[in-house]
Amino acid sequence: MGWWQNLRQRCRTCSRVTLGAGVLAVTLGISFVMLTAGAYGLAWTNTEQFCIGCHEMRENVYAEFKGTIHDKNRSGVRAICSSCHVPHEPLALVIRKMQASFEVWGHLTGKIDTKEKFEKNRYEMAVKEWTRMKKNGSQECRNCHHFDAMDEEKQTEKARGRHAKAKAEGTACIDCHFGIAHKEPDGPGPRELKIAK
Amino acid sequence: MKNAKYAIGVALGMLAGAAQAQSVDVPAAEAILKKSGCMKCHSVSAEKEGPAFKKTAAKYKGQADAAAKLQTHLMSGPTIKVDGKEERHDIIKSKDDREIKNAVAYILSR
Repeated sequence: MGWWQNLRQRCRTCSRVTLGAGVLAVTLGISFVMLTAGAYGLAWTNTEQFCIGCHEMRENVYAEFKGTIHDKNRSGVRAICSSCHVPHEPLALVIRKMQASFEVWGHLTGKIDTKEKFEKNRYEMAVKEWTRMKKNGSQECRNCHHFDAMDEEKQTEKARGRHAKAKAEGTACIDCHFGIAHKEPDGPGPRELKIAK
Repeated sequence: MKNAKYAIGVALGMLAGAAQAQSVDVPAAEAILKKSGCMKCHSVSAEKEGPAFKKTAAKYKGQADAAAKLQTHLMSGPTIKVDGKEERHDIIKSKDDREIKNAVAYILSR
């Protein structure tokens, strides 16, 4: 506790309690600033502007997303990249952000910096995301779309039947609803991926 | 000489027509298939409730009347079986013969 002795020598007139309270206040202040900055930083990386800051996203998946039902619709409720691709739960969110920081390496090395390279890697990237969405039961879809809140009367007979089956079998939304916001990659779909939940 | 030029012109015209008939307007086909709700049950290459377009194309491969058969399938709403239950196949949402033929050509060329 060398730093504490040092502090006491510098402020001989201060009592132990005053000094302790001062140290606590400074610690809390720094923690507050760091936590706030961290929260703002995380929120900033969840914005659409951040996601389309690189041309790999802007010119490929974002361009495909424009005009789809999740971008423009009669009610004006809109999903952005992070609504579907970033978990909303705090711990899962931080883990996903840490994983994503490794993806920056791909950006720096130019892994998908041309249309051709993007297409070459599209299936691999889609499978990674499908796998994540199958493992968490398509949680990001279900953050907005709740089985229990669906008005079956407003669904077609076919949709009603398919949803009842999915609910009974615990099927992930992504098993059927893939390729709705982005171009469908060439190859087997989510349903054909054998993934342990 | 004049007749020969005319014949060449006609032949080139026919070739151009045939090439146009074979070429597929992919964005237009994808748009009408999406508008008709086809992609809810079908995919180009992946498994869904309905067969993938690639599977359909393989099934009809080499059949002279493939396009006609598929067009009838899309326009008549036949009874199909999904998970062992009978249901009516949706009808393509278009009255435009060229648009429907383009969608058929798109599916068969996957």
